[in-house]
Amino acid sequence: MNIFVCIKQVPDTETKIKLNADATGIDSAGIKWIMSPFDEFAVEEGLRLKEKNAGSTVTVLSAGPARVVDTLRTALAMGADNGIHIELPENADNNMSAKALAGALKKEPQVDIVFMGKEAIDDGAAQVSQLTSEYMGIPCVTVALAVEYSATSVKCKREIEGGAFEMIEASLPALIAAQKGLNEPRYASLPNIMKAKKKEVKMLKAADVGVSDADQKIRYKGLQLPPPKPAGKKISGDPAAQAKELVRLLHEEAKVI
Amino acid sequence: MTWQTFLFIAVAAAAFGYSGYRFKILFNMMKMHQGKSSRLNLISERIMTAIVNVLGQKAVLKKKNAGIMHAIIFWGFIVITTGTLEQFATTLYAPANFEFIGQSAYKGLAFLQDFFTVAVLLAVFYACYRRFVVRPEGLGKSRDANIVLALTGSLMVSILLMNAFHILGLDPWYKHSLAFSNGIAQALSSLGLSPEAYTNLGTFFKWIHMGLVLGFAVYIPSSKHLHIVAAGPNTFLRTLPREKGMKPINFEDETVTQYGAAKITDLSWKDALDYYSCTECGRCQDLCPAHNTQKPLTPKMLILDLKENMYRNKEKLLAGKYEEISPIMDENVTEDVIWACTSCRACEIACPVFIEHTDKIYEIRRNLVMMESKFPAEVQSVFKNMETNASPWAFSAADRGNWAEGLAIKTMAEDANVDVLLWVGCAGSYDDRNKKVLKAFASLLKKAGVKFAILGTEEQCTGDPARRIGNEYLYQTLAKANIETLNRYAVKQIVTACPHCFNTIKNEYKDFGGQYEVHHHSQYIAKLIGEGKLKPTKGVDETVTFHDSCYLGRWNNVYDQPRDVIKSLPAVRLVEMKSNHDQSMCCGAGGGRMWMEETIGKRVNVARTEQALATKAGIIAASCPFCMTMMSDGVKTKDMQDKVRVMDIAELMDQATP
Repeated sequence: MNIFVCIKQVPDTETKIKLNADATGIDSAGIKWIMSPFDEFAVEEGLRLKEKNAGSTVTVLSAGPARVVDTLRTALAMGADNGIHIELPENADNNMSAKALAGALKKEPQVDIVFMGKEAIDDGAAQVSQLTSEYMGIPCVTVALAVEYSATSVKCKREIEGGAFEMIEASLPALIAAQKGLNEPRYASLPNIMKAKKKEVKMLKAADVGVSDADQKIRYKGLQLPPPKPAGKKISGDPAAQAKELVRLLHEEAKVI
Repeated sequence: MTWQTFLFIAVAAAAFGYSGYRFKILFNMMKMHQGKSSRLNLISERIMTAIVNVLGQKAVLKKKNAGIMHAIIFWGFIVITTGTLEQFATTLYAPANFEFIGQSAYKGLAFLQDFFTVAVLLAVFYACYRRFVVRPEGLGKSRDANIVLALTGSLMVSILLMNAFHILGLDPWYKHSLAFSNGIAQALSSLGLSPEAYTNLGTFFKWIHMGLVLGFAVYIPSSKHLHIVAAGPNTFLRTLPREKGMKPINFEDETVTQYGAAKITDLSWKDALDYYSCTECGRCQDLCPAHNTQKPLTPKMLILDLKENMYRNKEKLLAGKYEEISPIMDENVTEDVIWACTSCRACEIACPVFIEHTDKIYEIRRNLVMMESKFPAEVQSVFKNMETNASPWAFSAADRGNWAEGLAIKTMAEDANVDVLLWVGCAGSYDDRNKKVLKAFASLLKKAGVKFAILGTEEQCTGDPARRIGNEYLYQTLAKANIETLNRYAVKQIVTACPHCFNTIKNEYKDFGGQYEVHHHSQYIAKLIGEGKLKPTKGVDETVTFHDSCYLGRWNNVYDQPRDVIKSLPAVRLVEMKSNHDQSMCCGAGGGRMWMEETIGKRVNVARTEQALATKAGIIAASCPFCMTMMSDGVKTKDMQDKVRVMDIAELMDQATP
């Protein structure tokens, strides 16, 4: 099987976000970059599928500036066979990213299945999976929690509103967007980390995959950090008085009840 | 030559030949181990430790009754062996007795031999009483031990009977030196036999004795009694000094394809010598916090299981068929066993023959983590946090210096011209309870007029948790980054309130180019008190018990300074827990256990807290952030947080010092 996994490099979850000078993006100085955690589930699922099907290969793709190659190496260390880096500008939006990924995938002689995270934890847009599948013209299942594979199709259990689940069957090739819980991503072994340094990462320019500046549909005019959290309020008194005061505050000040 | 000479030559040649052949196999198995271990530094210290601990039996005598029993058997063995050698010599050539040493010396030797024969016999009786009546848990049941005791007892009885009959039959000139044998002879004289008959009986028991000795020689290689050959060298080759660091791996060396121990042969020849030295006494197990809280790990069984694995793979090992050797991880050595270790080192300190258990566990963990990516699931986030944020906990590296905000503490970047660098550590930087400890310690440094600075956001986790869990690669990444920073500021003096940081910076960073004078804050505070720079004057009217941190005590031999600090506080009363100093019980957080769930058996921290509560002390003093967390949790679990406080020695000192 020719398995593909699209991954995004995002700031580490503990990053203290600062805005850049003209407040059109974030200041990337000092940021630790990691693979978006949902994409880790996607890589793991690709690797597990490969292990079940002898002779398969897993190719990881990432679109973004030069630094994303480090994250491709992380996926290669987990066990992916090769990588593709599509060079896109720093602030590429979901549409441009999806078109670039789809363009790169369409250049491949055969694509049997594509995985990616259900969303990236930086913008949390959850758009790229559907957009990519549209550009490729293949089915897409998002928020996948479990996948059963057969030769020509996949059955996916996916999470829907209200804590319920649904099963969706899709013919292959298909794109599956991973939800937390799909699997437990592995920790790269040291021999694989060493091997990953020598694995091939193919470089593609935006033009190679048919992407131009016109594909950027979102322009950021200004970003603002959320207002700082006000200090908490401590309610004192006996339990009955405390409860009464809590209800009053929730009702009158917070206006939530 | 008599028929006896011929018979002896034939039997002794066969016995020693076969015994030698068995020893040769043991030696070859040892040699076929692939792991490296070089231990020929500090020769004079090694000779000293061998004299003190082998001849002097110091380590054995740490346990009183069993120790005295063993020392008697050991010293007796040496003295009695002179007699055995004389028997062999005279059997080969009748005039070859040892009388050439002079009459009075010979009489003295005869007396000692006779005395020790009885003493050893009594010690064997005590050993039987202990093994069959007292039955300490750590000793377990052992057919091998029973055989050894029976053999030793029979050896002594045969000597006494031989001597007694020879006294009756041959009437040797030194017979009055053989006080006990002579007594037995008087009792046996009522048999009323002829001198020839007595002499023949004496000869008969001499043969019994020599036969038993030769039988022993053949039996030893497959017995725990092998320790009589292996334990001496093992003591001489022990790790010196006590403050040992873990062996670094050279990741630049591309010929290395196996990290850590997957198979028995990935360990070193010294590990095999450890198995040979094990006497199965169970002292390691008696003090093991994992075993004492029903975890599947016992250090004794680990050694015996590894030994068993080696014997199981004997043919493949000797043939050099490494690829066919079965893995270490099997139905005995399970992941639960390997992850239960808190690396507290109680086992190693208790071991009378200096077996090093933690080294083996570390090597096995290295293989599990780096080669197989197998470790408790919760550890993955620890590694990831250390990789991205240089802290085992998920906090931003940018916030590392936040604890010091508003305290007017400078960073090295601001002013590197200081007496000492305060190494804060991850717990001191991020954990709310331990931040208070760092604040108290910084306050003390100011009160004492010490000029110090911190690294702030330039500090990273030392890597210690990764190293103890087995992720040497991650450890070295962090260690090298820290050494680069420390060397850039030309740091010479470091003080830290964390024994884990203390241990690795002091003992392990030197392998990567980091040489510093490192102090634990207990040592530093004690020094400041000694210099008169800190004068605790406010009374602390409390009973305090001190909980030893393993990485301060057993790993670095620091027991006194934290106690000195506590004792310097006016009005304080220091009481010791049931286990203290090098017998102390771990809090349960060492060896990376701080970040692992504890699902099997009783919680180690609760067991230790119970010991602390039993002292009725109002304050449990700690000197380690992990101990602080574990003991505080323990006190809460026992619902005693209103009556008992857990405090760092720096906090106690800061409160008492105006």
